[in-house]
Parts: sequence; C-alpha cells; structure tokens
Amino acid sequence: MVPPKAVLLLILVLAVTRTTAADSKPAPQPRDKAGVAYFEKHVRPLLIRRCYSCHSGQARPLRGELRLDTRAGWQRGGESGTAIRPGRPKASLLVKAVRYDDDSLQMPPKRKLPADEIRILEHWISLGAPDPRTGHKTSGSKRGTADHWAFRPLVAPPIPGATVDPGGWSQTPVDRFLLSRLRENQLAPSPSADRLTLIRRVSFDLLGLPPSPEEIETFLADRQPTAWQQLVDRLLASPHYGQRWGRHWLDIARYADSNGLDENVAHGNAWRYRDWVISAWNSGLPYDQFVRHQLAGDLLPDIPSPDRQRHRTQRLIATGFLSLGPKVLAEVDAKKMEMDIVDEQVNTVGRSFLGLTLGCARCHDHKFDPISMRDYYALAGVFQSTKTMEHFKKVARWWENPIATATEQQRLAKHKKQLAATKAEIDSVIKSARADLGKTPGSGETKTKDEESRFPAGTRDKLKSLRADLKTLETTMPELPTAMGVIDGKVADTQIHLRGNHLALGETVPRGVPEVLAGTDSRRFPAGQSGRLELANWLTASNHPLTARVFVNRLWRWHFGRGLVATTDNFGQLGDRPTHPHLLDFLATEFIRGNWSIKRLHRLIVLSSAYRMQSSPRADAMAVDPENRLWWRSPLRRLEAEALRDAMLSVTGSLDTSMRGSLLHVKNRGYFFDHTSKDETRYNVPRRSVYLPVVRNHLYDVFTLFDYTDASVMTGHRATTTVAPQALFLLNSKLVHRVSRQLAGVALDAPAANVSQRLDRLYRRILGRPATSTDLDHARRFLDRVQATLPQGKSTPINTWTALCHVLVASNEFIYLK
Amino acid sequence: MFTRRQLLQSTAVGFPWLALRGLLEPAAAALDPLAPHKGHHPARAKRILFLFMKGGPSQVDTFDYKPRLQADHGKPLPFEKPRVQFAPTGKLLKSPWRFRRYGDCGLPVSELFPHTARHADDLCVINSVHGTNAAHGGAVLKVHTGSDSFVRPSVGSWVNYGMGTENANLPGFVTICPTLAHGGVKNWGSAFLPAPFQGTPIGNASQPSADARVPYLDSPGKSRGLQRLKLDLLKQFNRDHIAGFGDDGRLEARINAFELAFRMQDEIPAIQDLSKESKATQALYGLDEKISSDFGRQCLLARRFLERGVRFVQVTHSDTMVQWDQHSNLLNGHTKNAKEVDRPIAGLLTDLKARGLLEDTLVWWGGEFGRTPCVQGSNGRDHNPDGFTMWLAGGGARPATRFGATDEFGYYAQQQKVHIHDLHATILHLLGLDHQQLTYRYAGRDFRLTDVYGKVVDGVIA
Repeated sequence: MVPPKAVLLLILVLAVTRTTAADSKPAPQPRDKAGVAYFEKHVRPLLIRRCYSCHSGQARPLRGELRLDTRAGWQRGGESGTAIRPGRPKASLLVKAVRYDDDSLQMPPKRKLPADEIRILEHWISLGAPDPRTGHKTSGSKRGTADHWAFRPLVAPPIPGATVDPGGWSQTPVDRFLLSRLRENQLAPSPSADRLTLIRRVSFDLLGLPPSPEEIETFLADRQPTAWQQLVDRLLASPHYGQRWGRHWLDIARYADSNGLDENVAHGNAWRYRDWVISAWNSGLPYDQFVRHQLAGDLLPDIPSPDRQRHRTQRLIATGFLSLGPKVLAEVDAKKMEMDIVDEQVNTVGRSFLGLTLGCARCHDHKFDPISMRDYYALAGVFQSTKTMEHFKKVARWWENPIATATEQQRLAKHKKQLAATKAEIDSVIKSARADLGKTPGSGETKTKDEESRFPAGTRDKLKSLRADLKTLETTMPELPTAMGVIDGKVADTQIHLRGNHLALGETVPRGVPEVLAGTDSRRFPAGQSGRLELANWLTASNHPLTARVFVNRLWRWHFGRGLVATTDNFGQLGDRPTHPHLLDFLATEFIRGNWSIKRLHRLIVLSSAYRMQSSPRADAMAVDPENRLWWRSPLRRLEAEALRDAMLSVTGSLDTSMRGSLLHVKNRGYFFDHTSKDETRYNVPRRSVYLPVVRNHLYDVFTLFDYTDASVMTGHRATTTVAPQALFLLNSKLVHRVSRQLAGVALDAPAANVSQRLDRLYRRILGRPATSTDLDHARRFLDRVQATLPQGKSTPINTWTALCHVLVASNEFIYLK
Repeated sequence: MFTRRQLLQSTAVGFPWLALRGLLEPAAAALDPLAPHKGHHPARAKRILFLFMKGGPSQVDTFDYKPRLQADHGKPLPFEKPRVQFAPTGKLLKSPWRFRRYGDCGLPVSELFPHTARHADDLCVINSVHGTNAAHGGAVLKVHTGSDSFVRPSVGSWVNYGMGTENANLPGFVTICPTLAHGGVKNWGSAFLPAPFQGTPIGNASQPSADARVPYLDSPGKSRGLQRLKLDLLKQFNRDHIAGFGDDGRLEARINAFELAFRMQDEIPAIQDLSKESKATQALYGLDEKISSDFGRQCLLARRFLERGVRFVQVTHSDTMVQWDQHSNLLNGHTKNAKEVDRPIAGLLTDLKARGLLEDTLVWWGGEFGRTPCVQGSNGRDHNPDGFTMWLAGGGARPATRFGATDEFGYYAQQQKVHIHDLHATILHLLGLDHQQLTYRYAGRDFRLTDVYGKVVDGVIA
C-alpha cells in the first residue's frame, strides 16, 4: 500500500480544513433539478471514469481515505480534508488537485485531465456541487479498526487434538500447533538433532555461551529421559541467562551509555538500569511487574518488607527505561525539545509494549492504524506530566533520581563531620601555636607558611599530618549515587499540536489510553498523578489484547530468529500477519495464565520437539517452504555480535564472568569523543559483551560489523548480514589474532600423547566436538605447510598453531549454530 | 545436496533481489547480489559520481545569477518568506561576487568557480531544485535517501541494488570521507535492502583524505602466503561443513565473503596509492596546492574507483564543522570552500573527458540545500531548501544547459521545478533504471527510492 500523493498536503492542511469544514455552506439538496441534471450528464460519468478506481467504495485500497462516490464522501473529505467547497471552486481541494496547481497534490496522478473536464468540475462546484448521491462517507476506509487481528480479544484457542500427531511427536502444545500447519501442507517436521548439536544450540540460545567440553560430556553421558529438561532447567538458573536475555531486552530499551545525537555525553548511570534488567530476568520477575516497574516504578506503593528501601531503589532504577532515548540536548527551542523527548517516549512505549507505531499520530491521525491525534496527545500528556529532564536549557540535563541508602547518607554526613572537625583542629593548632610565638607575624612574614616555619617541630609535624588527613577526606568524599529515571512532574493535560507543531495548539485532550484499544475500559487518570501507573496497569491487565501477544512473539523471535509475526515491533495494519495465529494466542494466554512467568514460557518452547529438530535443509520441504515459515526445521543461525565475541573469549578460557558495574572511563555527563577529540572508548576488557560500553554514534566495531542494534531506536529484530567487511575483521583484527594465539598457547601447554590428541582437544574446545580423521589429516598437513611457509625463526609451534586456531575461529562451524 | 535449479528456486526467497528487482536476471546473478545486470532500459550512464557539498552552498553566489538581487540590495524581499524558516533573516543581500558568462552557451558563473566554469559547455545546471527540509539533518537525509523522517536505503544502495558492480573485487558503492554527522551512516546505509548493497566508507570527514582507509584491510606482520594457506584451509573446512550439513545459500555466501575480502586487500590499497599518478595529473586535481590538495585527493581517488568499475562513488566536501554553512561571514567562508573544491572538480571533469569516461559517467554536484537571498545577521545567509542549484555533467545529462529558474531574487524554485524526488528519478533513469519499477518489498509493501513521488525530468537529458 502506497500512501497517496496527498500526504504532504495532508500535513499542511488537515487541521485547518477540518475546523473550517463546518463553516462551509451545506451542499444543496437534490431539489436543484437543473443542477442534478448537470451532475448526471457531465459530472458523474467523469468521476466514474477518472476517479472511482481509487476513490470509491470499490477501490482497493481506497486512496487518501477519500470517497467520491457519495456526497458524504467528499463532504467529509479524505486525509487532506474536505474535498469540495460548494460554490467555491478555487477553495476546493479537488479543483486544486486536478489543476495541478500544487506539487504535492496532483490528481489524477498519472496525467492531468483535459482542460474541458477540469472546467466541468469547476462549473459544477460553482453551481453549489449539487449531488443526489447518498451513502456512507468513508466506509471503505483502510484505517484499521478494532476488527484488525491484533486488536481482537485474546481467547485461548483449542489445542489441536492427538489426531494431528499419530506418531506421538509432540512434547508440548507448541508442537501440536506447528504440526497441524505442517500437515496441512503435506510436510513432516525434521527429525531431532543429535545431542551434541542440541547442547550447543540451547547453551548459546539461553546463555549466549558455548557449553564447556565437560558440560558436553556430562550431557552426552546422561541417558535418562529427563536429561534434556534438567539441562534446560540448569541453564535457566544460570546467572548467564540474564546476561543473554536481559541483553535482548536492552535492544528494546534502546539501551546506551551515551546520548548520541548532537551532544554525545555519557549516560554515566545507565549501567544501573542494565544491571537491573539482567537481575530481573535472572530472578524471574513476572513480565507484568517488569513492565510496571519500568513505566511507573516511582509510583508503585512500597511493599512492607525489611528490604523496602532496596526494592524502592530498584524500582526507581527501572524507570530509566523512559529516560534512555537520544535527546537533542542543545536544541535551542526548549518547548520543542520537551515535545521531542515526549515523542520519543510515546514512540518507544508504543512499539515496545503494544507493537504499534503511535509516533505516526504526532502530526496527523495514523494513516493505517486506528490511532488518532487525540490518542497520541492523550498519551503525550502522560509523559509531559512526567519529569524526565532536570531542565531544558541548552545544554539540557536529564533528571536522575537520588538512590542513596540511609547508610550511605549517614556515611556522607559522618564524612562531612569528620572533615569539618579536621579543619577546625588545624585552625586551633595554628591558633595556639601562634599564641605561643607570642607575637603577630614578623615583618615580611605575610605568608602563613613563613610563619609556620617558626612553629616548633612537633607542631609542624602535627599540622602536616592533619593536612594530609584533610586532603584524604576531601578526595574520598562519598558521592551519593543517582540513577537515570523519572518521577512525576507538573501534572497537566496537553493540547493537540496541529501538524505536530508545538506553536500551533489545538484542543486540550485528557490524559488516557488509545480509544480503540481501551474498549470498555474507561479508566480515568487521576488529577494529581501523571497517569503512568494507570497506563502500566492498563497495559498489564489480563485482558489486554496486545501486551502478551507482542511479548510472546518477541520471545519466539529471540529463540528462533523470526517471530510468528515477522514484524516484531509492528502489529498494526502495515505489519505482517502471524504465520500461526492460534499458536501465538495460545502462548499469549498461557503466558498470562502462568502469571506472566517468562521462564515458564521458555520451557513451553524449549522443551518442545520443534525446538530440537535438525536444521539441515530438506529438499522436499525446501521446494514447498524455502523460508521455513512453517517451521519444518530448526533455523540455522549466525551468532550475534555479543555471542561471537563472548564465545571467542570463552573458548580461550579468558572470559571474565563477573557481573555488574560500569566500564565507562568517562564520568557522568562527560563528553565522549566528538570527531575532533580523543576517542575515550575502550573495549579491550575480557568481560562479557553486555557489559561493554554502548556508545551511540560510535559503536564498538565488533558490534557494528555483526549487526548489533543501532542503539538509538528500539528494535526487536536484528538483521543478519554476510558481508566482506566481517571477513576482513576476522582475518585482520587484533582481537581475533589475540584469541587465536591464546588458543594455541592452551593447546600447546597441556601435556598430550601426540599431535592427534592435541588437535582433538582443540577441536573439542573450539567447536565442541571431537576431530574427525579428515580434520586431523587437513590440520596436520596445514601445520606442516605453515611451518614451511613461515620464515626461519618464526616457524615456531606457537605460530603455526595460532594460524590453525585462527582458521577454526573464523569457520562457519564456529559462527553458525545448527 | 541440491541441484543448481533447486538451489536457485530456494534462494529466490532467501535472496530477494532475484524476484523483486523487476529485472531479467542471468542465472549467475542469483547467488551474487552484486553481479552486474541490465537495467530496465538502455543506460546512458554506467556509473555515477556524487560530489556532495556539505552545508549548503549558496546558489545566488555560484550558479544562479540574479541581477535583480544585485540591484535591490538592502531592500526588503517583496514577497513572503517561507512559513518554516531555520532562522530569521533580514533584507536582500547582494552577492559579493561578480558573475561572468562562460562557454558557447554563455552560462553565468560567479568568480568563486573560475575553473569549473571553463567546463560550462559540459554542465547541465539545474537552478530550480527544491527540497522539503530546512535543517541539515533532514535535508542531508532527504538528498541521500529520499526521506527526511524515516530510515531508508541511500540512493547509492538503490543504484548498487539495481545495477550490481562491474568489479567483483570491489564494493559497488564507495563513499570517500563522508560526514559522520547529520544522519552519518544512514546516508550510505542500505536500510532494509540487503547489506551487500550498503556503501563502504573510506575514512570520514574529520580525517585528512590522505589518511582515509578501509578498516581491517591490513594487519601488522601479515604474510600473504600464510593468509592464503589459512583461507585455503578455511574454504576446505567450510566445504566439509556444507557437505555434512547442506546449505541454503548462506554458508556458501560466507565462503565468498572471505574470498572477496582477500581480493579487496590487494585491490583497494593499489587504488589508494596515488603515487602511480603522474605529477601532471596530480597537479590537474590541485594536489600541488595546499588549499585544494585534500579534496583533490578525494576526487582523484574517486576517478580511480570509477574506472575500475565501482558503480556509485560519493565524495564529500566537509570538514569537522558544517563546511558550506555560512550563517555569517559568507565572503570568507565561501571563498575558502570554493578554493578547496574548484580546481579539483575542474581537473576531474577534464580528466574524465580525456579518458573517455565522462560520456558514460554521470557527475552530480550539490549540497543538501541552498541559501537565502536575504541576509542573516550582518553578512551571512540562512538555509534555503525552497530553491537551489545542483548540476549534472556527462552520462547522458544535457550539456551546455541552464535548466529551470528561481524567482528574480533566487529564493523559490519557480519555473520547471525539480524536486529532490524528480532528481532521483532522473538519475536512476540515466542509469537505465525506472524509478517506479525499482522496488523492494519490506514490511508488507514495495518501497522505492522516490516513495510515491518523482518524475523524470526530460529537459535535463541529452
């Protein structure tokens, strides 16, 4: 569907025409016989011939929301407003369009009408546009309604019966849903992959790390029927799970450690939000709470508990979600900056939780989804009533919540007291020593230092030591921790911004949730609060049609590389339709029924037979469904940027698995590099990639090359590309050379009976499998050749083995997950 | 394992360029997205060079001579200024430069571009270009991607997608010293088009062009012999992997990516080695003068990429500031900027012509917008997207032409208006591509460079 030519004009005239439409003369009734005769003779045939193909009830799609086959159609007008002003041809958009007066509105688009036809239309309008036609105005509207699949109420679909599965293949209901679609297409699911493949697949999937050779051996040796389930449970309980899956969520939160855009300053406290996300996933925080904490953590009531304060701090940190967006901090127009920040929040919340591009309705009603400007500004009011910024004066500062504990505050108070006491003691020592000298400073002794030189040695030592203490106290002054996040600001409803322009304000809209989605829910937003809590509660109500659907689809996407709805962030009209609507709704209802437990959802998916299928292409299925939309095989997947780097560090044994904390070298709000100054980013740390700084406008090369997110806008679906610059990186980067050399060191250090054993261990370490005899042949021959190629003095074992390790790390087998 | 036919069938979906480019494909193109292919109609130009003047050079001080502006200096603009302006402006400000007529066609050019002006009879100057955005970010994105509000593929990516590359060892789209600001990577990104169509940046605007490199082309102590051995083992190993697993095209594609990377390591440094060019050629591009050597090197590099088969080369004239953005000090700023580019551009045109390349190389010059005929502050000009000048040369563009016109003062495009979309449509047309047929399906709809707009401007075609 291509938006009509009128888009531009729409933006320019929408509001104006909508408000003035009411003032124009009503169209004459069909009493005007001569006029109607003119219409029938000249105008109707012309409209049918020239306009109906795009502007009538039969038009598919209806263009510009404009119908010209009913009187009401042109009276109401399309996206650009009323099409015809009876009696005023010059003021009628229709005439402007056919005259080709305006570059952005020319109809019919292919060729201008002959002059006589234009005159017919002008004359008819000058007669008052008599039009006997009745009928509804825009019933053919393409703007989605509540009827759109994603807005329909969520109902648990029946699970396909055992008849679809005579072979007893299913392990969880997920399998039944997939199987029933496969059978409709005369396809069989692929057989189960071998256990070696499975442990590698599920380890990378759930932890983002390869299994160790020992873990592989244990699993291969475990022949109990529950072995798979136990493995999955063990992985879901690992702290690495949160690092892997929390990072998926950080893609949605457009997480970054710098602002990007015009003023690329450090988000010095963003890491607290990152750590909160990781710990939320690890601890199994139910998704509804996960959402509420991020949108309204500051407004949630305290739960009585000895840990009350700590929980409150965590919830304040969670609201960092709303603050992480990129901001034009040097925008001169403070009001514009404010509305741009609000817009970023509305947009992110819409796409993250609802899968809706709400931002489209900032300047005009959404062109495809049932989101009006009123809906947009109802939500904008919520975020305008939220304090995201400390101030808007350039360079503006975002707000940070104080999160110091009582102990930390006491420690600071104590520290300050100590500092004051030390100062006082110094003063008193000087005072009494001076008194002992018995006179005022001698002539020329203008400086205290000169005076002090005449103090007794003991006093001088004492002063020296006191001053050293003072200096220590000053430099160790505890800084009270703060966290990016929000609280409520000045609460007020906001006005519709005509054409999105903050200088052209329309009517005030009460804060609220989008009308079509609200259904019968008529919750009112309290006068004293921003409404974020109501918004969060509405989103996580058990009957919300979108929240669960959108999330379970994200989870599916992160497991399988493609969502059941491929457009993970757009469930609107322009998004894709689900390939398995029943499965989607089953997962969504199960999710809510299971108290929004994410780990339970993982189990439903990972314990299925479908998850364990082989991923080799099968000729019969490739012929029918080459894209694997029916899930006849497990997808072949390339490791993501983080998994690739972590895997490299992991197989060398050098991965630092410590958790939490900041690796930034720039202090909060300090400038990262701009193009002219020094680059302050450092990545040479063996920590997991999730802890590396995410610097907007200048991401780490490994991230950029291997399809990391843009980190400025949320994305639920990273691309996967295969391009030569990736190969150049793997061939020539320092990181890969260092990793290869470390691996060679490890291979050569361990005692081994012979080269074959050494090679076998190396293959197990890097690829998680024993070396085949072909591998051994190739490798031995390669080592010999390299030795012969390298110059004298360089042909050492470490160098030849480094070359071999380099090849293994760069191989498809290492980077692709079966 | 699969027969070739099965593979092609399956990859028709996995490799969407097959089905959706709307072109007749030779079978070989199936697996190599960058393989060259025929367009929708015979091409006038085989390749294109975009000389991008970052910041917005002033039309009324360069290629759009306005006697009335000179005469009415200091008077108010006798009609309304645009509804949306970037900054407030005052009365009319005459150009501080004199204009002269050049060539047989008598094209008026200001004294800022005396060298380029000697090519007047090769130029097709379009005085009636107009865009939609008055801020750098939006306007730069509009010129490069056709959209100032959404992430869309850049024009270079579309061309790469539509035509492929003639040199398998090189990317099909190269951008030399691009600016990292105002959209940055998005200006050479492929957005939803497959990644092989994205631009390869060489350096960036804040580096001297002599230091501009493709990253990871080299590693310390690299031995070519050793690397070849490694790649041979890698290929063997990857082939064994495919034999045991089967392939849907992706694994094979990655083998090819390594081979391409290996070849790029030789090819690109050879191209970047300008010492192979004669002193005379270097001087032609202004390498002998400090002020023009940096941009001259970019232009010379561009020619070396073009003659080796790269389809789309962009050269960006930008420093770490916003180069042509003279909100104040128009005189000094534009004088310096023009000095930096004039000799290199003229040299480039001379060189392309001498080598017979100009005939089928389309050269495109311009900024993201022009500047206001009204003064900003006491001696500057504000952004003006409503009427500005770009020019084309070679590659089927009509030579010795001054096309379209702004009003008497050079504010609004008025006659034979050419929107950025129209320009894009025309450029694709000259390259043998129909802007309405060159589509890519994404998120449920077929996207075009020109969205739903754009008309081919016949008047600028030879």
